[in-house]
Amino acid sequence: MLETRNLTKSFGPIQVTKSVSLKLEKGERRVILGPNGAGKTTLFNQLVGEIIPNAGSIHLDGADVTALRVADRARRGLSRSYQKNTLFDALTIRENLGLAAAVALGKGQGLWSDPLQSPEVRETVREVAALVDLAPNLDATVSAVSYGIRRQLEVGIALATRPKVILMDEPTSGVGPEMSKGFHRLLKSLPRELTILIIEHDMDLAFDVADTITVLNYGEVVFDGLPEAAKGSQLLKDIYLGAWEDA
Amino acid sequence: MTADLGFWVLQMLNALQLSMLLFLLSVGLTVIFGLMHFVNLAHGSLYAFGAYVAASLAGVLGYWGGFFLAPLAVAAMGAALYFTLIRSQRRAGPMAQVLITFGLIFVAVDATRLVWGDLPIGIAVPAVFEGQLSLLGVEYPIYRLFIITLGLAVLGVLTLILSRTQIGAMIRAGVDNDQMAACLGINVERMFFLVFVVGCALAGLAGAVAAPVLSVTPDMGLQILIPTLIVIVIGGLGSLKGAVAGSLIFGFVQTFGAVLLPTLSSVLIYALLAAVLVARPQGLLPAKG
Amino acid sequence: MFQHTPLRLTTLALLAAGSLAYTFAAGFFGLEILAEIAILAILVIALDLVAGFGGMVSLCHGALLGVGAYAFTVAATEAGLSAAPAMALAIALSAALAFAIGAVCARSTGIYFIMATLAFGQMGYSFVFQSPLFGGDDGLAGAPRPDLGAIGIDLTDSRAFAIYAILLVAVTYLVAAATLRSGLGRSLVGLHHNEKRLRALGLTVWRAKATAFAISGALAGLAGCLAAQHTQYISPGLLSWTVSGEALVVVILGGLGTLVGPILGAILFVVLKHEISALTPYWHAIVGLILIAVVMSRANGVVGFVEARLATRKPQPLVKEAKADA
Repeated sequence: MLETRNLTKSFGPIQVTKSVSLKLEKGERRVILGPNGAGKTTLFNQLVGEIIPNAGSIHLDGADVTALRVADRARRGLSRSYQKNTLFDALTIRENLGLAAAVALGKGQGLWSDPLQSPEVRETVREVAALVDLAPNLDATVSAVSYGIRRQLEVGIALATRPKVILMDEPTSGVGPEMSKGFHRLLKSLPRELTILIIEHDMDLAFDVADTITVLNYGEVVFDGLPEAAKGSQLLKDIYLGAWEDA
Repeated sequence: MTADLGFWVLQMLNALQLSMLLFLLSVGLTVIFGLMHFVNLAHGSLYAFGAYVAASLAGVLGYWGGFFLAPLAVAAMGAALYFTLIRSQRRAGPMAQVLITFGLIFVAVDATRLVWGDLPIGIAVPAVFEGQLSLLGVEYPIYRLFIITLGLAVLGVLTLILSRTQIGAMIRAGVDNDQMAACLGINVERMFFLVFVVGCALAGLAGAVAAPVLSVTPDMGLQILIPTLIVIVIGGLGSLKGAVAGSLIFGFVQTFGAVLLPTLSSVLIYALLAAVLVARPQGLLPAKG
Repeated sequence: MFQHTPLRLTTLALLAAGSLAYTFAAGFFGLEILAEIAILAILVIALDLVAGFGGMVSLCHGALLGVGAYAFTVAATEAGLSAAPAMALAIALSAALAFAIGAVCARSTGIYFIMATLAFGQMGYSFVFQSPLFGGDDGLAGAPRPDLGAIGIDLTDSRAFAIYAILLVAVTYLVAAATLRSGLGRSLVGLHHNEKRLRALGLTVWRAKATAFAISGALAGLAGCLAAQHTQYISPGLLSWTVSGEALVVVILGGLGTLVGPILGAILFVVLKHEISALTPYWHAIVGLILIAVVMSRANGVVGFVEARLATRKPQPLVKEAKADA
């Protein structure tokens, strides 16, 4: 469904992604682990096209999308959420979700009707709001709601495009353990055919939801396999926990 | 006509003279923007104010009285503006700044009309620089050569200050990264004030030297504004090198365009600006990589 | 996003009723002023559409108006078209140019966008000023008013012309409001707040910006046609950047991003201009001072000021929100 081949990116002399090759099957849930500065977010930025890699290729649903721009990749079913909330602050939550759904449905340039009133968009907004637990807050303006709710909306917007592949960049960063747990439930309730790639710091969450685990360190894939294998891996402990202790 | 060497020399000198005048104006505006992220549309009005002060003082103290006092008067005006409007609007965003300084232009134009009237004022070239000088077979007014020399001298001094002195290093650091500069213990507030006032003084100087060449009218500030903005956008906001490059490009395109492609000349510079904005939205030599 | 609050709807209704009533009460001079207000109102609604909702602060709207005025005049006098097709042609030309400008400037934001539009506007000004085809500095005369004799209306009469101008303001308002409710309008508001996210959601950003700018440009072109029909003489001064600057001032005075506000701003501006200029030749300075005061007060123009006042007095919206939460 989503594949990278030898993806490489440098900023000046620093290689932030070193020949990363990943392959996600349809419906796979993969968690990317790695210390700060391992190149996880840079990898995401390359996957969606916000950063252009120096070498290597990206394939989405069998097609090479390396040369496609951000919006074109999004239209092919790739969606992402951001580590730092990237919302429409002055709009209501309903409008945020509606806008995302409208754009994904190709209604973002339409002139003749209000997409937020269209049945498809309203249906998507209702569904996504139920999924990410935002139904009670739909008419609140983003700038007036709590950080936790914004965090849910961040993922909600990504889901409102009804993607084939969703990339989530630390969806639970900065929220409490209670909300983190709620997020586990959310992830498990998502349709099984949705392919999910998550950057996560919380190891428990990672092992709870992951079908497979990839560990990045200094821009390199140092582990790629099943969670059970990762759990016992001395390598993972050394790199990941070692870096934690350093930090 | 174009085969004649004299023609080329003459046009080169004209272009250089226009470039240097624009440089005096744009360098202050661009460094103020680079450092403070402040867009001052009223910069042209400060130039007009300088020209009026110089023209008024020329009658009393002679040309040189105006030449030296006009920049001081404009600097004082700049300081007053800094404390009343500029400082409080520094973080207000480009829109608020554009509007406030646009309002200032309205006020400035009418204030000059009120004080000096609607009629153009002319002043004479100082006695030392009267007459023509023969240069490569071309008779060229000495006063215009003086403008070129003055522009080059200011460029030299500013380059030295920016590259060799501590305050210059601070300004460069501030343009590069204002938070970093504040962390390094630089008194950012005082540096802003200094740069703003020096920028205003240079605009006043430009007005004073332009006064004998152009006629001094209430709308001269408005007329010079667009060329100045074009210079700094082509050159890249915030950089000294950009101001130099932009001034030279504008001066030469405008001057040679007018004689070689008279029907297209005024559109030419705007087309060039559009091309720069499309190809390099940050200008040719932006302050930040 | 754009909303028709009861206050705004009431204001609109009062404006419509008041202006129509005034057309029957006013003398020749009043009707001329009314037409002048209508032309400015169309231009500032067009500008508010892109600047207030899309954050695309344009300094080329004066030029787009001028293009409309010149295209209409040339099409009607030189090409001999009748008024309606000449208007359609002029509006289409303004829209096409605005689309191109919007597409080229789509990558620029903030002050760079302002400068880029300024450059394009000045380019148009210089072109018209220099080209002999357009009469240069002397301008062009002879733009006709549409012939509505078939339905018994004579637009050479200033009362009929004022009503016609007010109707065009209403059309403009409806076009702008409909645009804001469309998918494009929703995207435009979204772009203002978060361009990066919309791109990641799959929006072709440059096309959305260019299309919105084209609609705004078409409306500015309409204002230009009306201006040409009103004075029946046009000069390059119409394209000057100070016209764009004044339009921006009017939008700010009325309330950015409110659509209703700019109409109020246009009324205030034209009336103030005539009142103050009767008293002193220095009316620009007074406008400048008012502008500075409004921007420094941080109120969003007249409409923003009134709405903020009402909001602090009546806590009703908060109660509604709490109900929705429960």
